Amino acid sequence: MNSTSGTLALGKAEIIRLRRNKRYLFFTLALPIVLYLALSKTAATEGGVSFKVYYLFEMASLGAFSGAFNNNAIRISQERKDGWIRQLRLTCLPANSYVVAKIIATVALTAPQIAIMMLLGRFYGDIQLPIWEWTVIALTIWLGTLIFAALAVAIGYWMNPNSVQPVIMIIFLFFSLFGGLWFPVTGGLRTFAQGTPTYRIVQIGTDVTLHGTVSWIPVSIILIWLVVFVGLATFAVRNAAEAI
Amino acid sequence: MSNSGTGPVVSFENVSKQYGGLKAVDGLNLDLRPGETVALLGPNGAGKSTSLDMLLALKKPSSGRIRMFGSDPYHAIKSGRVGAMLQSGGLMPEVTVRELVSLVASLHPRPLPVETTMKQAGIDKFADQRVDKLSGGQTQRVRFALAIAGECELIVLDEPTTAMDVETRRLFWANMKAEVAEGRTLLFATHYLEEADQAADRILVINKGRLLADGTPAEIKERAGAKRMSFRLERVDEPFLLSLPGLESLEIRHDVVQIQTRDSDATLYAVLDAGYRPSEIEVSSLGLEQAFIAITSEDDRAGGASGPVQVTRHASPAGAGKEMSGK
Repeated sequence: MNSTSGTLALGKAEIIRLRRNKRYLFFTLALPIVLYLALSKTAATEGGVSFKVYYLFEMASLGAFSGAFNNNAIRISQERKDGWIRQLRLTCLPANSYVVAKIIATVALTAPQIAIMMLLGRFYGDIQLPIWEWTVIALTIWLGTLIFAALAVAIGYWMNPNSVQPVIMIIFLFFSLFGGLWFPVTGGLRTFAQGTPTYRIVQIGTDVTLHGTVSWIPVSIILIWLVVFVGLATFAVRNAAEAI
Repeated sequence: MSNSGTGPVVSFENVSKQYGGLKAVDGLNLDLRPGETVALLGPNGAGKSTSLDMLLALKKPSSGRIRMFGSDPYHAIKSGRVGAMLQSGGLMPEVTVRELVSLVASLHPRPLPVETTMKQAGIDKFADQRVDKLSGGQTQRVRFALAIAGECELIVLDEPTTAMDVETRRLFWANMKAEVAEGRTLLFATHYLEEADQAADRILVINKGRLLADGTPAEIKERAGAKRMSFRLERVDEPFLLSLPGLESLEIRHDVVQIQTRDSDATLYAVLDAGYRPSEIEVSSLGLEQAFIAITSEDDRAGGASGPVQVTRHASPAGAGKEMSGK
């Protein structure tokens, strides 16, 4: 068995685990669906688009990001403490496989989750968009999960399980609130919110539906966050090599 | 790269590991030869786990060099020639025992059939149970199964029978003997001296990160130098007993004399030559435990080469008297 198929086997096991985890399923899948079903049917508009469109982007992002971030950070921290990462280092897998498998599982499970939300928007919300716009929106959210998966890796390697909970709560609330994932941000807060990747991901969604274009500003802000968090994650993993 | 079977399986060349000001491992030199079963014995904090961590490429030595199968530890591990079980190795939760063993087997270049591995480790009866629902002893056996999930030449175990009950421990060593009988090399760290005595054909005693003794269990007991002798003597003459040749320690319990001596023959002849006729004479070797205590405490005294003879006297017949330490 070569290292690629080994990493994939580990990724598959991670997917099996997540599918059995009720907490994960509730926050990433059930909660966004229920909120969308309950709250999307208003006639209001937001950011120039109808609320049911805007809220769809919010809910799809919320589920994807909480799956990528909260879940991974807690697990990595716990598994590091329990010694599972040490145990894996005694196998033939290359040292980075653990993190790679986590990302594979995250990305593999958020894809159907985002697809379900898009289908919900199309058929429950009756949102009519060209196929390419649906694709751009789904891909943007999907890539956005990488930002949060990377941050989760950094935090999971840095912090111990007993201190990680409140920290990820604060970080997740920060990004989801200011990014407008729970409800739209208005007024002076918006200036501030514009710096967050979450806000910009939703913005790409509204831009595409309104103008059929994507401007370079949200794209570059998202990429900057991605580079910063991947850098942090790499640093944290290397730094922990002796302490695993 | 390949090991011909004559070179050492593992070699530590002057290996040290420093944490800040503390030297956990201090200039360790040793070779493991193919097919040996070696016990690494030492008190808590002696450097056993750190040594094994370095061997398993989990930690890097501060200085010195470790070779495994003629290459560096990392590459030896990644070639699947080493099966290892860590004291601190965790298991992936939320999967069943069978799923976990299958996963680890699938990561190995020469996997063994999962059912065989589970039977060997004695975990087949709870194969469908979730890993996070197991008892301590069961978890320990799953760890062992992961170590033997693939064909390997060297097995490294850190305190393998911790948390196992007596019966499980016995089973564990029976299985282990089968593994070793196939020509594998086994290195294990342990607290249990009888385990080292029974299972190992070579014992390494380490303390404060240094190798203090290296030999067969019999040699280690010998190295501690002493034999134990006891006899019954009606009128005990303490000054005389203290003058006996080879004496290391003396314990008098009513009319029973217990002696540790470097030369049991000379000690006994001296008693007889003085005209005493003791009864119920018994001479026995020190157990590994006493040998181990003798070797490590000698090291702990560090410098005070041969200490004074220790005397313990129990005044009351019941033997519940005060202990006194005379010079």
